[in-house]
Amino acid sequence: MRPLGALAKVVAGVSLYGIAGVAIAAIDPGKATAPRMEFVPPPAGSYKLQKIQRVADAILLDSSGHSVRLSALTRSKITLLTFFYTYCVDPLGCPFAHTTLAALRDRVRADRALAQRVRFVSVSLDPTHDTPEVIASYSKEFTIDPQFDWRFLTARRVPDLLPVLDDFGQDVSVEMDANGHATRTLHHMLKMFLIDARGEVREIYTLSFLQPQVMFNDIKTLALETG
Amino acid sequence: MKIDSRLIFSFCIAAIMSVGIASHADETCNSPYMSGLIKGQEDFVHVWTLGVPGMGDGSDKLVTIDANPTSKTYGKVIHKISVGGRGEAHHMGFTDDRKYIWAGGLDDSKIYVFDVGTSPSHPRLVNTIDNLPAKSGFLGPHTFYALPGRMLIGSLSNATDKGGVTGMSVYNNKGDFIAKYDMPTSAIKQIKGDGYGYDIAVNPAKNALLTSSFAGWNNYMRDLGELMKDPEAMKHFGNTMVMWNLKTMQPEQILAVPGAPLEIRWALAPGQNWAITATALTSQLWLVSRNAQGAWQAKDVATIGDPAKIPLPVDISITADAKGLWVNTFMDGTTHYFDLTDPEHPRQTYSKHTGTQVNMVSQSWDGRRVYITSSLLSKWDKQGKDNEQFLRAFQWDGHELAPAFEIDFIKEQLGRPHHMKFTANPPRVASLTGVSAR
Repeated sequence: MRPLGALAKVVAGVSLYGIAGVAIAAIDPGKATAPRMEFVPPPAGSYKLQKIQRVADAILLDSSGHSVRLSALTRSKITLLTFFYTYCVDPLGCPFAHTTLAALRDRVRADRALAQRVRFVSVSLDPTHDTPEVIASYSKEFTIDPQFDWRFLTARRVPDLLPVLDDFGQDVSVEMDANGHATRTLHHMLKMFLIDARGEVREIYTLSFLQPQVMFNDIKTLALETG
Repeated sequence: MKIDSRLIFSFCIAAIMSVGIASHADETCNSPYMSGLIKGQEDFVHVWTLGVPGMGDGSDKLVTIDANPTSKTYGKVIHKISVGGRGEAHHMGFTDDRKYIWAGGLDDSKIYVFDVGTSPSHPRLVNTIDNLPAKSGFLGPHTFYALPGRMLIGSLSNATDKGGVTGMSVYNNKGDFIAKYDMPTSAIKQIKGDGYGYDIAVNPAKNALLTSSFAGWNNYMRDLGELMKDPEAMKHFGNTMVMWNLKTMQPEQILAVPGAPLEIRWALAPGQNWAITATALTSQLWLVSRNAQGAWQAKDVATIGDPAKIPLPVDISITADAKGLWVNTFMDGTTHYFDLTDPEHPRQTYSKHTGTQVNMVSQSWDGRRVYITSSLLSKWDKQGKDNEQFLRAFQWDGHELAPAFEIDFIKEQLGRPHHMKFTANPPRVASLTGVSAR
């Protein structure tokens, strides 16, 4: 993997880190903890999921390098969509998200009828590095079952991705080193979006909500809505 | 709300990790779903301020104060943005990404969305939401509680009779109305709901959403002296808390908590699944926890001041480790500190007269700084010389509140200061656009 270049431009409003004294502003990530679930999830179909927003369309690239409409992958099936980048090493970041999704895939796959109605979509946050070839290689680990619909997407260029991030409310930034150069760490709030077959976001999971049993029940709840 | 594609940056140094449950007991009262916890020195304190006729422009406004001691403008008002009207500015809350503050008006029911992410020293008003009554039937948006991609809003009143029966609404982060949920008015397990609302607080690990109850527009927009002389009106205060199933958004249990239970703070560390609140009219601390059978229960665990004198406990602020609690009592202008080491038996270990009237109290994550504002409601604030209007900042060493700086909101012609939120300058980050040419 090639290092990030030095063309990073610090955005406006950066703070004066490094000045002497004790009163340095610091936004602390806190101690990361895996989600806890100390309750019995309500049964599938016993509740309604909110209709949070419609997913806007965009043109992205699949792992074969073909252009795909996002709407084609967020309609007609129940979709669980998340954002990632292939070189993320945060144990409670992208690897955790994909491990959670893999376990959820296995659970869904056990119900063959349900599995036909579900897809996962993982969209790279770094189109510059995560080319179709790179995501094709990365995704092999997760697409072992050709019967299960799990797509990995990237974009031709960053400007193609930005409207998608904007629509989903998915922020991302690139950490800088002490010299003001971009590092290999992208910061983003881990979010997964559960989308119904009509293209409407019905639930959003951040780390606190990544509870596989609840997520499975939510998928089944949407499946029950349309029979 | 559009994200400026040129300036996509995050408040968080590692937002992925920043949403961990255990780290978010309080900062002082933010949603655990919010990213970007400020553990060090806050740079700015934003104060949602009620306009006063004839004072400055008379409008409600978001006032920004420099709170970093290393700054040349430390302790000064560095920015203010008026919303062009007076609607009883009251509470506010961050969105889950901490880029925006939603601030409500209890009288006009408007919701103002300020961008504090792009430049926290100079917030911008980017959206005004005025359809809450039309969409929900509720009045008086009070608590703004971030959920992933959404804002859960607890209201105080309703548009039909302006009484205390109300509910919660959900908007997405773009400002679109999604859903409404009525506070229960029927009985659950023999305890009847009063339908009143006030604060909202979530314990994610328990799938538990806890709400409290106050009063409707007819009461909170009425002169306090008149109100207290009206026995019939004084009956119209909340006496319940409700435990909801967060996933289903259905009420599961109603708890009898007489005397208007207000702010709710969860202790979220593993094994500490309890919440605490203060009742305004009965001047007590109430603990909400599970009993041996697993059901939620509420019990009064301490008195605040002398309840016979109606000190009127208002805001509370729990420490990050949930071992201590600040409580402001409005009438006697006192700031109390309770030791919560044993939450079943809170002990007051410190108190200080901090003003003629004090309402909100916010502490930094490290507990070393405590900020206090004076205004409760425009019709409830004291009059004459007792109507001090200020923000006072203190250093706390565990023994004494030492004054750090003070803003006189009357002298500065700003208005009545109410709710406070902290921000910090964003860390050094680049946008995706900035590195795309690599």
